[in-house]
Amino acid sequence: MSAEVPTPSGPQIGADEWVARSNERILGPRGPFGAVVRAIDRTPRIIILAVFVGFVAAIPFMTSNGYIQGVATDTMLYILLAMGLNVAVGWAGLLDLGYVAFYGFAAYMFAALSGGHLFTGGVLLTDWPTPAAVAVAIVATIFLGFVLALPTRRLRGDYLAIVTLFFLEIFNNFTNNGDRWDWLGLGGTHDVTGGTTGIIDVHPWRIGGTELTNYSRDYMWVALGGFTVLAVALMYANKSRTGRAWRALREDPLAAELMGMPVKWLMLLAVAVGAGVAGFAGSIIGAYHQQVSPDEFTFVLLITVYAMVILGGAGSLGGVVVGAIIVNVLLEVLNRPDHARWVFYAAVLIGLIVKVRPWRLLVAVLGGLVAFGVIVNQIVGAVWPRGVDGPIAVGPTAFTKQGFFAGAIRHWLVLPAHTYTIPHYTIGNYAFVIVLGLVLALTLVKGWKRWVLLVPMIWGAAFVWENLLIEQAPTVRPLMLGVILIVLMTTRPAGLFGQQRVEIV
Amino acid sequence: MGGVLAFQLYDWHYFFAELMNGLTLGSLYALIALGYTMVYGVLKLLNFAHGDVFMIGCYIGWFVLTGLGGVLAPRVPLVPLLLLMFAAAMVGCGALNVAIERFAYRPLRNAPRIAPLITAIGVSFFIEQTAVLLWGANPRQYDFFELRNGTLFNPPAFTIGNLSVQYAQIFVITSAVFLMFALALFVSRTRTGKAMRAVSFDREAASMMGIDIDRVIMVTFLLGGVLAGAAGVMWGIVQSSFNPYTGFGVGLKAFTAAVVGGIGNIGGAMLGGILIGLAETFTAGYLTSTFQDLVVFSLLVAFMLIRPTGLRGAPVLQKV
Amino acid sequence: MTENGAERRPLLELRELSVAFGGLKVIDGLDLHVDEHEIVSVIGPNGAGKTTVFNLITGVFEPDSGDILLDGESLIGLAAHKITQRGVARTFQTLRLFLNMTVKENVMAAQYGRTKATLLEQMLRLPRARREERRMNEVAEEKLGFFGERLMGYRWNQPAYSLSYANRRRLEIARATATQPRILLLDEPAAGMNPVETHEITELIGKLRDEGGYTILLIEHDMHVVEGISDRVVALDHGVKISEGTFDSVATDPRVVEAYLGTSAAVTK
Repeated sequence: MSAEVPTPSGPQIGADEWVARSNERILGPRGPFGAVVRAIDRTPRIIILAVFVGFVAAIPFMTSNGYIQGVATDTMLYILLAMGLNVAVGWAGLLDLGYVAFYGFAAYMFAALSGGHLFTGGVLLTDWPTPAAVAVAIVATIFLGFVLALPTRRLRGDYLAIVTLFFLEIFNNFTNNGDRWDWLGLGGTHDVTGGTTGIIDVHPWRIGGTELTNYSRDYMWVALGGFTVLAVALMYANKSRTGRAWRALREDPLAAELMGMPVKWLMLLAVAVGAGVAGFAGSIIGAYHQQVSPDEFTFVLLITVYAMVILGGAGSLGGVVVGAIIVNVLLEVLNRPDHARWVFYAAVLIGLIVKVRPWRLLVAVLGGLVAFGVIVNQIVGAVWPRGVDGPIAVGPTAFTKQGFFAGAIRHWLVLPAHTYTIPHYTIGNYAFVIVLGLVLALTLVKGWKRWVLLVPMIWGAAFVWENLLIEQAPTVRPLMLGVILIVLMTTRPAGLFGQQRVEIV
Repeated sequence: MGGVLAFQLYDWHYFFAELMNGLTLGSLYALIALGYTMVYGVLKLLNFAHGDVFMIGCYIGWFVLTGLGGVLAPRVPLVPLLLLMFAAAMVGCGALNVAIERFAYRPLRNAPRIAPLITAIGVSFFIEQTAVLLWGANPRQYDFFELRNGTLFNPPAFTIGNLSVQYAQIFVITSAVFLMFALALFVSRTRTGKAMRAVSFDREAASMMGIDIDRVIMVTFLLGGVLAGAAGVMWGIVQSSFNPYTGFGVGLKAFTAAVVGGIGNIGGAMLGGILIGLAETFTAGYLTSTFQDLVVFSLLVAFMLIRPTGLRGAPVLQKV
Repeated sequence: MTENGAERRPLLELRELSVAFGGLKVIDGLDLHVDEHEIVSVIGPNGAGKTTVFNLITGVFEPDSGDILLDGESLIGLAAHKITQRGVARTFQTLRLFLNMTVKENVMAAQYGRTKATLLEQMLRLPRARREERRMNEVAEEKLGFFGERLMGYRWNQPAYSLSYANRRRLEIARATATQPRILLLDEPAAGMNPVETHEITELIGKLRDEGGYTILLIEHDMHVVEGISDRVVALDHGVKISEGTFDSVATDPRVVEAYLGTSAAVTK
């Protein structure tokens, strides 16, 4: 009964091609950053990897500063952790909040196997050759990954997150109190994990007869070597059928299952691979620090790694590496007040330059900012001399207290003297809350009011920075992590290099 | 070891005391669990920061208490003092919860579920660290035991033979039950309550029926925050101390209480809270107090693996 | 179809299939069979249980009683991905593509069940993994080529969400064929299409059977498609089969008319 229906002509190849390309241009990041990203996209991955590895390997030769070498080693370990977390979270879309337990487990295993603390009443396992200890630690961690993922394979996103978090808490509870393990009141007391001190006297790695005791470079190279192998392996895994299956699982687990992909097994696999990477990192850190203690494997570390993965872009191998570098460097810089100060002003400046357009508006905002500060400074100075008398962040170097920059700050900001002798109810506290309110209010207003509000907000933030935050590195660091997570997820969940995902609800 | 256990089991005084402690603790968990269960029911979101809202409630109560002279020299009689503390904490926490929703969760209303969860973790972290920044990490206490020479706790309110109950415990348990009933009534009788239930079933359809989704969600968070604030003050009264990280562990347990009782189910949250409070107290009292967290968390993990829909929850049918 | 005088068993057979959700019996004692190379359409008003039948066959739900046989072997209790690997593929009433993956990746992903290289082999790029990857590429291009030029060329690397609605439907069918099935379950493939696209889809389904060799079980509301392509039509209502036969006999069956249009319409027919 079919009437004659005209068949449609095919797509206009030329026109559609252009449409397709312009779509790519629109979807990708814009501006100078976009140009950088596109240039990087064009370079073959192997070359980027080789350049990176070469550069990092040369760091111990480029500087003899022990601190920088230490940061490099820490960063390499973070990079490994971020890559491992990326497998479960970025590729398979599984929110694993217990990841750090794998890291800790591997560290404890390696420490137990290669010297250090003894298990009371148990088998003495000390001083295994390094390759054996590392291999066993990694395999055991992968096994643990399977064991933990197996009962959770049916859980949805939030529930999976909570259960994995429980695993981490159980791990913490056990390691912290493991020097008094008594089989829950039924057996004698055994010292299994060394309690809050942990395991000490962990032997260094011994490869081919040489002990790795040059702590400033050896373990960085080990981590770097492992990173190279893992980066290539994970790149291949991502391009393979398993990588596609993980991504399909992230998109739509039911559809994936019905298209022949064994979803539950893939979930196990993703967790296990991530655990394996964490296992490798764990077997390094014990030897590097020569000890293993429970407060290295906490929820704070987990959030740090998450911030790295999210900032870099969950799902992008290169992205999480960059994210790890940025976050760790930021954390290190925040540790020292005089360096940290620069970070704040640099961040504000960069943020303004990137976000405030056109340039006339930028100039107006900057000018208003300077004027505002100077005016307030003069008023306060006239009314309450001690208000502008205070020192500029008691830091170790004289540069912070004198010099042009310090002088500029002194005339721009209000620095009440002795803010730190009044315990806790300081002006800084109130200012913090007020600035927080201003930031939130800023998200509510639109148009010109936004730029007007921006000036007191930035000034207030600088005020809080100089008077309150700069001293309290241990608190500012996690605070910053929380802010990173919140801001990223609400404004740019794909992070720097992640794929801008489309969710059709 | 076994012998001591057997002996303790016959110590009914101890048993009853632990029972009362467990019920009290469980009531606190229940109040916080109500906030989790309501928000999850309406938004399908785990408000990770809810435990920290509770913690802020502890601190607000502390500030009011200290501002009015503290436990040793209160400038106000007991009942108005308590009322003020509760009012301040409930208002403050309610407002805080609403603000969290407005600024952190609303932009992510339609995002995949991972996004608001990670944001919630960020918010939780942020609140904890702000508390450390402003108030320090050292634990604080209400020292209510000192109030009126400890008459809230000793002598007990009433005694049956060997078993005694403290005033403070009665107060906490009955307030929790009262608040739960008030909430249940609100959800089942008022228009806003019905709107909340509608939104939890099908948000789009509800909005097309003329329900103001934003307002309903705001009220949900407000109620949750209010209950958490009350729980915070009560915690300060009956527990020994609190610090900025108290909310983290309590929040975890309270959320699991909500799951145990069946997520989205108000009576279930109460039930779950009581069960977990009892489990924790009895584990600490009879089994091991060092590894009490390990045992409780393991039990919770086991529960969530075996019966994730909870005791009173309905299994969710997925339309394919 | 007879062969050597003996009855060839059907490729897919549902025997006395029943399932209830809550207290509601959604499918009640359903008998259905599809012979090899047949195109069978399932019709019925909304809520008749048609998609539930698909869900039961593909293993999303387990039936309360009855049996589902693929080429004589029971599918009951098997995991869904195993059922797919046995040769049952489907599309969805509301599209369920992997939207953030490219067109080609969607189709390549569906070949997971037909490849064997382990993760380790893939990480080390061993020969078997490389070979299978090449093969998956070729198969994907072949399956996508079934639809003419629409999903070819530059479209391979486009994210699936950038496709038009009709192309998405086509992609979903291509993805299903990539699992190398024996039988294709198409759930309302013509939903939301204009008459031109509908005509194309109808021809495509025929082509799938004639050139692709697939057996097809089809749920459709659009009677043009059903009439144009079905060898046999089965009508369901409230989970029960109410009619079966050629399109003309089913379309005029008073029970079917009543199910769709109400009793008065059936009487007037």
